[in-house]
Amino acid sequence: MTSTAVTKPAPPRSARLRSVPHAGLLLVLAAIIVFASTQTDAFLNSNNLLNVMRQVSVVAVIAAGLTLLMVAGGMDFSMGGNVAVTTAVAAQMLSHGYPAALTVAVSIGLSVAIGLVNGVVVTFTRVAPFVATLATATLLDGVALLVINGMSISIDEHLSTLGNGRTLGLPNLIFVAALVLAVTAFVMRYTTFGRDAFAIGGNEDVARLSGINVVRDKLVLYGLAGALSGLAGIMLLSRLAASSPGTGGLQLQLTAVAAVVIGGTSLAGGRGTIGGTILGVLLLGVVANVLNLLQISSYYQQIAVGAVLLIAAISNLLQSRGKH
Amino acid sequence: MNTPVLRVLGVSKSFGGAAALSDVSADFHPGEVHALMGMNGAGKSTLVQILSGALNPDGGRLEVAGHAQNHLTPRQARRVGISTVPQRRELVMSLTVAENILLGDLPTSGPAVRWKAVREAARAALAGLGIAIDADAIAGDLTVAEQTMVEVAREVRRGGRVLILDEPTACLGPEAAGQIRELVVRLRESGVAIVFISHHISEVLRLADRITVLRDGRVTWTGLAKETDEAGLVRDMVGRDVVSRRPERPARSPEIGLSIRRLGDGRFLDGFDIDVRRGEIVAVLGPAGDAQSRLFDLLSGRRRPDGGTVTVAGKPIRPGRIAHSLAGGLRCVTGDRRRLGLIPGLTVDENILLAQDRLDRRRMHNWRLLTRRAAPLRAGYRVVSLAENPPVEQLSGGNQQKVLLAKWLGTGPAAVLLEDPTNGVDVAAMAEIHGLVDELAGRGVAVLLASSSAEEVMRLADRVVVVRDGRRVAEYDVDLITRDELVAATLGGAL
Repeated sequence: MTSTAVTKPAPPRSARLRSVPHAGLLLVLAAIIVFASTQTDAFLNSNNLLNVMRQVSVVAVIAAGLTLLMVAGGMDFSMGGNVAVTTAVAAQMLSHGYPAALTVAVSIGLSVAIGLVNGVVVTFTRVAPFVATLATATLLDGVALLVINGMSISIDEHLSTLGNGRTLGLPNLIFVAALVLAVTAFVMRYTTFGRDAFAIGGNEDVARLSGINVVRDKLVLYGLAGALSGLAGIMLLSRLAASSPGTGGLQLQLTAVAAVVIGGTSLAGGRGTIGGTILGVLLLGVVANVLNLLQISSYYQQIAVGAVLLIAAISNLLQSRGKH
Repeated sequence: MNTPVLRVLGVSKSFGGAAALSDVSADFHPGEVHALMGMNGAGKSTLVQILSGALNPDGGRLEVAGHAQNHLTPRQARRVGISTVPQRRELVMSLTVAENILLGDLPTSGPAVRWKAVREAARAALAGLGIAIDADAIAGDLTVAEQTMVEVAREVRRGGRVLILDEPTACLGPEAAGQIRELVVRLRESGVAIVFISHHISEVLRLADRITVLRDGRVTWTGLAKETDEAGLVRDMVGRDVVSRRPERPARSPEIGLSIRRLGDGRFLDGFDIDVRRGEIVAVLGPAGDAQSRLFDLLSGRRRPDGGTVTVAGKPIRPGRIAHSLAGGLRCVTGDRRRLGLIPGLTVDENILLAQDRLDRRRMHNWRLLTRRAAPLRAGYRVVSLAENPPVEQLSGGNQQKVLLAKWLGTGPAAVLLEDPTNGVDVAAMAEIHGLVDELAGRGVAVLLASSSAEEVMRLADRVVVVRDGRRVAEYDVDLITRDELVAATLGGAL
């Protein structure tokens, strides 16, 4: 209805709360933090908090790429598999004495190629992205096991500046993740490429008719998702100092997808923010950390993470419904 | 005079302080077509939602067959016999017509569906209304008009005593709209009370027994259809006289702006030729779903034609390539803004400049500059929005249509294809859009109008080419033909 309101009455408090972006998510996060700090002193300790940040930075890099891709109506389930392959290849190269710079270049080049293969399949064969990338995810997990031959490959002190080094008292991994998030947020809001992603996700036919090169944009987006998976792989390897069976893979992928979806990015495309994704990543990271600190059995941990996912998703939905 | 089956008494409804309806009363009698008219945002849809139980009024009451109905829900509304056929089709497109008609009420024996009974019941429901549609057809394969009829049959079979038809003839060609109107007449004869919503004034005057006009949520006129006329209805809807007359156009330029030669596309277009001079508006008129509805896909580059050439300002355009069509200065404005026109979640300004920014190959997206560049287009195309720059999905249909026109016509086109440019907009917006198209031709743009509305063709075009079965059957100077002759020509009657 487009009837004209002459005077706008002051919105009630609940409406003002709704206008804060991600208010529901912030509330859940705050509640967990308050709960954790009353239960254990170990939580609000700067060492612990920095450790949480170090742990979430890998997921954050994957989630950033995934947010941009999902806004454009795409999906990549193979990012975790891509991480597994990248860590495996990089670990083998480093343990065979190749220089770190070459290793990083080769791994990220490889991950871009994997992303582009996804992009080509999705764009030209029109197989649904969900199906195509689920297939490549399985395939990549297998390839990763082949590369390390099912064993754990240690990289000793290589990459330790990235994985364990600190600058100004903060872990280096955090800076990498923050940079990736900031650049992605900027691209999404202030570049035509980023706005094209919203247009393609909103209505692909209209985007194409408006002169947007949809094919090129999609290939770039999948390539970018691949590149960020590669970067995340290098970060993960530097933190763990080894590549083992099960490093990366579907578990990491699901965490990233959960973080993005919790952050309010639409699975149907056309909607999403990096701010939401950051909150989603933090929420999942904090919950995992708190459960560890409270020494809760891993069975209950899984149950709790699932419950938090549900609550966050519902609170998100309630908020967006209130706006319409 | 029979007693009303449904009465609305002093109903009011407001949303967040803004009154959508205030003190609206109306009576709906069995065997009567009662038309609701008004501009976009006048309160028609709010009233329909209240009648169908989707909304509850803040004040006033509803009476069904003499009984007050408080807190009606959609389920209760259906039970007391009020059914709605909404504007957008609500059929399960992958199921058959018969399944759709008996949806939620399939005859079974035990857990098994009795398919023979389903088919028979559906056939009876269709035959009872004189609808000739195969009950075994898949709903998605039907034309829009046929889908509407299937929905009507479903609602009548469920025992609808009051049938609300929300713009059942929008987006339909003259022939299909005629079929729907015949169905409405048969429904009336069977004693159903029909609430008929339409923007087409001539249609309402022909069909309705009683008319209620809403403006800004109030009833501005109500009475028998024979007591009013077109000018009176427009005045009641808009609050002033709306004049939309053909302007005097300067002598046409001899230069050809758009030339189509031997364009072919399956059974839809067969060796189609047309020349449009600069500053000229040429209409292609045909039954809905005929040749004119294919021009958008072919000219925009969405679809590659079987053969033929398109030339804009002397330069040929490579077929089937969107980028080439745009670079050649050809702009195609769809009649289906939901599917092919706008991106609902993006803001008004972004939608307006979506094409221009890509043509300019802008790399960066400066929001403040965007607003400043969109402002003259918003003003020029009279886009009105409550919020400053809301997502385009929040605008009324008429305003969305103006955004769509601004998006394409603001890009300095050499030639334009306009497909049903006033689809689903109210009288006032229609007059404004017609004025904008006049201006466009006045600037020397070659305009090709693909339309299914004879009224619009008479108002806008200089020449009209009538098509049927993919072929051009006649061409007329609009000055030398009457509306009725034109309709007869499209329907295949002799002149």
